[in-house]
Amino acid sequence: MASRAEWQRITRSVTGGPENRLFFTAHEWATIDAATARIYPTDETPGAREAMAVRFIDRYLSGLDYIFASADGDAFLQISGKDRDAWRIRIEKLQRKYRDGIRRLDDVALTEFKTEFRHLDAAQQDRALEILSGAPKPRRIQVAEEGEVHVQNISDDDLEFFAMLALHTRQGTFCDPVYGGNAGRVGWDAIGFPGPPTLASTQDCSYGHADKFLTDFDWGDLIPHLKSRGR
Amino acid sequence: MGSGTPSPVDVVIVGTGATGGTAAKVLSERGLNVVGIDRGPYLTPKDFSGDEIKYVNRNFLVPDVLLNPRTYRQDESETAELSAFSLLPQVVGGGTVHWAGWFPRPKPSDFIQHSLHGDVPGASLADWPYSYEDLEPFLTKVEWAFGCAGLDGADRNAPYRSRPYPNPPMPPTKFGRAFYRACQKLDINAHPIPQALVTQPFRGRKPKHLTGFWNLYGDPSGMRSGTATTFIPEALATGNYELRTDCYVQRIVVDRHGNAEGVIYLDADGEEVEQKASIVILAAGAIESARLLLLSATERHPDGLANSSGMLGKNATFHEYVYATGLFDREVCEPFDGYAGHYLSGGSMQFYETDERRGHICGSIIGASQVGHPINWMLPGRPVWGEAAKRADRDYFRHSMKIGMCLHDLAVESNRVDLDPTVKDAWGMPVARITHRSHSNDLALAKWQLAKNAEILDAAGAKQVTSVSHQRCTGNTFHQHGTARMGFDPSKTVLNEWCEAHDVPNLYVIDGSGFPTALGVNPTLTMMAHAWRACEFIADYHAKGRKFRLDRRPAARNNAGGA
Repeated sequence: MASRAEWQRITRSVTGGPENRLFFTAHEWATIDAATARIYPTDETPGAREAMAVRFIDRYLSGLDYIFASADGDAFLQISGKDRDAWRIRIEKLQRKYRDGIRRLDDVALTEFKTEFRHLDAAQQDRALEILSGAPKPRRIQVAEEGEVHVQNISDDDLEFFAMLALHTRQGTFCDPVYGGNAGRVGWDAIGFPGPPTLASTQDCSYGHADKFLTDFDWGDLIPHLKSRGR
Repeated sequence: MGSGTPSPVDVVIVGTGATGGTAAKVLSERGLNVVGIDRGPYLTPKDFSGDEIKYVNRNFLVPDVLLNPRTYRQDESETAELSAFSLLPQVVGGGTVHWAGWFPRPKPSDFIQHSLHGDVPGASLADWPYSYEDLEPFLTKVEWAFGCAGLDGADRNAPYRSRPYPNPPMPPTKFGRAFYRACQKLDINAHPIPQALVTQPFRGRKPKHLTGFWNLYGDPSGMRSGTATTFIPEALATGNYELRTDCYVQRIVVDRHGNAEGVIYLDADGEEVEQKASIVILAAGAIESARLLLLSATERHPDGLANSSGMLGKNATFHEYVYATGLFDREVCEPFDGYAGHYLSGGSMQFYETDERRGHICGSIIGASQVGHPINWMLPGRPVWGEAAKRADRDYFRHSMKIGMCLHDLAVESNRVDLDPTVKDAWGMPVARITHRSHSNDLALAKWQLAKNAEILDAAGAKQVTSVSHQRCTGNTFHQHGTARMGFDPSKTVLNEWCEAHDVPNLYVIDGSGFPTALGVNPTLTMMAHAWRACEFIADYHAKGRKFRLDRRPAARNNAGGA
């Protein structure tokens, strides 16, 4: 059915490693895995590699079967109608951007270091990513002189390859695990986010943060003029 | 619904969001026979959960920009480019499906911008044809029918209200407490921001949603007030309201006398249907309502329906959300956990009224709010990759707080919505083109208030403050107003004081289109009260053949001491 209210549920597997890849070639998988590991590195805590960000990206690029999880997280929604046409166009464009971007990354690596990106050491990979992104590796939180604008719905539609890869790496590190990333919830654990055990637990609201609200407080202490009015 | 011509009805309403949902309830409960049409599906609470990818990145609720593009340019010298400008959710309930639920009242000054400020160069300020006092009973009706929470008396300068809030506010979060304490140091009157949710059992609803997945997410619990879970079911329960979903209204049909006859739409199967109605109401949001009137041009109305004034689409205002984020030392401060709560926790109207010493006129509501969830949490200047990226998340995801503002943008005649001359949507219809350049007052107000927000963050103990800036409007609030300005003079305005088109005596536009100027607060409560007021007029007077006009302007009443 075309209506979003009636999209069918389809069951799709998000488990497995490089042997279960759906879109990337073995070389592409290894290249993106290496790039995500530099974009969100592993240190004393896991990073994008342990989160399986590459698997998240592979599933996303594989077609239309991994776009929207069902509300309970047990399946994916089968996009239909005109929305299906739009997503097909979007995913095909992303596929081309990835194929082209991976080629460029290898071109940079071969030009600079005579070796494919995935075989470089970490410092060389960082240098290749700097060249690809056209900017030095960021060192700190820094607002550009002209500032930046706030966007509420953060789509990948108009991003250049590197910015898109960086966003997808973040997504693959911190998404709900139903999308194939954030494996073992390592992304959430690394930054101290107590994420939900399942999407279903956010649907029935058995998951929640009652403890983040103050229990012992008086509005008059927080809003002094209320006290002077005898409240 | 098959193709063809279903039976005529009393009223057809285009849209089922904040205002279309309000109209559905008010008119059907008064016994009128009503059909409501929405472009999107009827999603229900079971369709929603806390999935950041789905709601914040892949944008499940908003229209796909590849099917429903808009274009944007700053002024006429530019060619407008494809843009995801102000894409409100395209589902039954509209913006009230994804919103945080900001529900503040406007202030009396919002209705008399021209009387207060005169002719501001580069702007086109106007007074509303009604006043805060006229709207107050309807603000109260909406608050009590819809459900909202607030703390009576907490805003020292709150305007008159005839009834207290139906529910008390949620307790403060930890970042909310830090905000209150900082405001206390600076002698700023902080208070809970009135919010459209229930905090106690209320009309069958329970406050059980504490997941933190709130702003931009659909609500699986019914705790948040949205028309899809309140007014629409209430309208359906009357038996007088029929809801048609996934239907795309393409034009309004006008008879040879110049009256609206009904609408033509494509139904869910793509078949063309004509729905005749005695009264046609548009509630599609200020962009789409203006677009629909422009698409309804005929030989007799070559510049669009209801546009003999030439003002249709002009004076569009959109607000803009801008904010400063304070970063706190995790070695010293306990975590704020800004992923929890219901987005808002504390705000202020302290800077709302004009103080010309600041170098600008008007002011805006400010609010402390969630920073969001792990993927997209709001950190201006985020290092996008490398060790610094990880350090920023680890140090500050739990140790940051954000103070934002809803930028009150001045009405400017050249800021407008029209039809793009070349870009079409997936159905072959011209899309809305937005032309909008921020007035210098908007830029000054944003800059001043962001600096003030940073000062509050400093007082709260932030070791670093980082903020976005405002150079141009991006439509990031989804607030839309002003494209069919209401007023008394048919040569200068599109709608009259009851939201009825001057040119078409049975056509009403009840969404934010009619707002002559923007507000300094989030507009949804005002829009719903505005729609309720118009619909009582429609049901109690128009439908009974007793239409009348107001003959006095609010400014005159104010001068007579009525304010």
